[in-house]
Amino acid sequence: MPSWAYFQPFVVSGLALGGVYALSGVGLVVLYRATGVVYLAFGAVGAMGALIAWSLIKDTGVPGWVGWLVCVLFAGAVTLAYGMVFGPALAKRDPLIKAVATLGLTLVLFGVMDLLWTSGGGQSRAIALPTDNGGFVVGQLQVNWTQVIGLGAGIAITVVTGAFLRYTKLGTAMRAMANDRDITATLGVPVRRVEAAAWLGCGVLGGVAGLLLADLVALDATTLTFLVISSLAAALIARLRSIALTFVAAIAIGLIHDLLTPIQALSNYRDMTPFVLAAVALLVLSRRSVISLSREEA
Amino acid sequence: MADTHTAGRTATGPQRPPLRRPDARSLVRPAVIAVLLLFVLFALPQLLSLYYIGAMTQVAVYAIVALGLGVLVGRVGLVSLGQVAVLAIGAWVAARLLFATSLPYPVVLLGAGVITMVLGTLIGLPALRLRGLYLALITLMLAGGITVALATTNFPNGGSGFLGYNGSSVHIPPIRRPSIAASDPAYFRYSVLVAALMFLLVLAHIRTRPGRAWAAIRQSELTALAAGINTTLYKLWAFALASFITGVAGGVLAGAIHYLYSIDFPTQDSITLLAVVLMGGAYSLWGAVVAALLYQLLPALLNNWGVSSDWLTILFGIGVLQVLTTAPAGLADQVPKDLGRLGRLLRRRVLPGRVLPGRVPRKRLRGPSQSGGGAG
Repeated sequence: MPSWAYFQPFVVSGLALGGVYALSGVGLVVLYRATGVVYLAFGAVGAMGALIAWSLIKDTGVPGWVGWLVCVLFAGAVTLAYGMVFGPALAKRDPLIKAVATLGLTLVLFGVMDLLWTSGGGQSRAIALPTDNGGFVVGQLQVNWTQVIGLGAGIAITVVTGAFLRYTKLGTAMRAMANDRDITATLGVPVRRVEAAAWLGCGVLGGVAGLLLADLVALDATTLTFLVISSLAAALIARLRSIALTFVAAIAIGLIHDLLTPIQALSNYRDMTPFVLAAVALLVLSRRSVISLSREEA
Repeated sequence: MADTHTAGRTATGPQRPPLRRPDARSLVRPAVIAVLLLFVLFALPQLLSLYYIGAMTQVAVYAIVALGLGVLVGRVGLVSLGQVAVLAIGAWVAARLLFATSLPYPVVLLGAGVITMVLGTLIGLPALRLRGLYLALITLMLAGGITVALATTNFPNGGSGFLGYNGSSVHIPPIRRPSIAASDPAYFRYSVLVAALMFLLVLAHIRTRPGRAWAAIRQSELTALAAGINTTLYKLWAFALASFITGVAGGVLAGAIHYLYSIDFPTQDSITLLAVVLMGGAYSLWGAVVAALLYQLLPALLNNWGVSSDWLTILFGIGVLQVLTTAPAGLADQVPKDLGRLGRLLRRRVLPGRVLPGRVPRKRLRGPSQSGGGAG
């Protein structure tokens, strides 16, 4: 067992990673509550946004912030368009079907990314946010601003989303739709518009997460696309319900994942963290099996 | 479990038609399948180059995998997003057995199937408390975990120890094939025969009590439970069957490609596999063949023509969306229907006013696809 000093840098990176997972997880939970869709293309839209930003910045020399804005807008627009086209078509279907349909979008985006930004040839890409260079020192630890943004964005999004759902009219409508879409519609809530807002919000978060993860982890289509599974693990631990629990789970996943790095015996297995945690949590939480007739599963 | 029988009967309707004598029409299908199988076994290896024989061997392997997933998705309504990880387990076990022992190949295949079945069932047992969406997502999580673990342990390459991996070995021995099927065309025939056996095994299940229980569970788990069906047992049974045949497929795959690497089994392949199974048609056994052709033959063709297989990924994505929104029973259902429609249209054009005898349009009673399906 290495001494604590070895672990310290990984606390920082783990918190940053956990923050980004939290941001993604919250986006996934809000969309699921409002529309019943587990958006498995979350990672893919973020990844493609980040790749577009990278190409823009490298090839046309636009200032960095334009690229980042394009990334976020792209993710938001694709998600919104998907939600508008396939949301109503699948509205009455099982949550499982809705989730599998987003895998279709994932495959389309993944194919396009592989086609346009070929991974072969060893060409390495990176998005460097200017916040990488600045930073401060805590004790003997170097902390850069991107890591602060990662954790900060996670906290901020969780708090803001919580307040938004609690205090605004749109947020109340979303919570109502999470309970019962049909009754909400009867009460005169414009469900389609509320759903559109949820799709857009989720897509924008996907873009932000893609940008941050491209910097913190790697700018690679496969990695980023399937990082959604890790954020999804956090959302699953919270049973796709509580955003506070999602935040806690995401931070735990990020921390445990990075803290395993210095332990030699487990280092290679650290990528299993989200899967193992989610699987255990799901199994423990569902140990009392209930069959219900409602549309909502499990 | 005596009352399951009654339950299965209720699911198919209270009055079952009396046992039919085999008439000419019911013999046509087996005959066509037999001719097709003979063609594939004897004519195809003569016609194809070694490149396509290799591709077709993969088709045979993945037809079994798709069949397993088809049983889960189409028959029982359980969506698994981790079948390629199960295939990897089967391939690992088979490779380990092949390096460690000199058992005959069929025994190794059986062993790979049984061990994979035990592992799959052990994993499936707790997971079966979950349903629908959560089950699909937990299988995705488990597949992710297995993929990471396999990337670290690696596939056996003739080394010693439990894992059988020797990282520093220079001359990696190829995974052996059965002595009667050492050449590529012979191994292709061998794979097709194994695949045919697996199809028969599944067919035997579907035609009998488990099949009826699965049909009842797919329609409504609550009703099945009320009808006295042990839903846990039969769901587990489906998992065991799917794991078994996928494990056997892993064994066939090990011999087909000689060298196994963990990068051959990425998590995203499980997603693509689900996509092609849905496109091919999860409710029909033919769907598994269509799925395997889409999944393995099309990339080989495109590769030969110099087209990037990324187009296929895009196509599969669009295909999933199309299947889920408009054609829940997939290509295996859609194409014959469309061909029939085309045929009727042509007949009406060519032979106007003539009604063909004995072809009164009947409303065909169809199980899974009409009801929106278990996956629906």
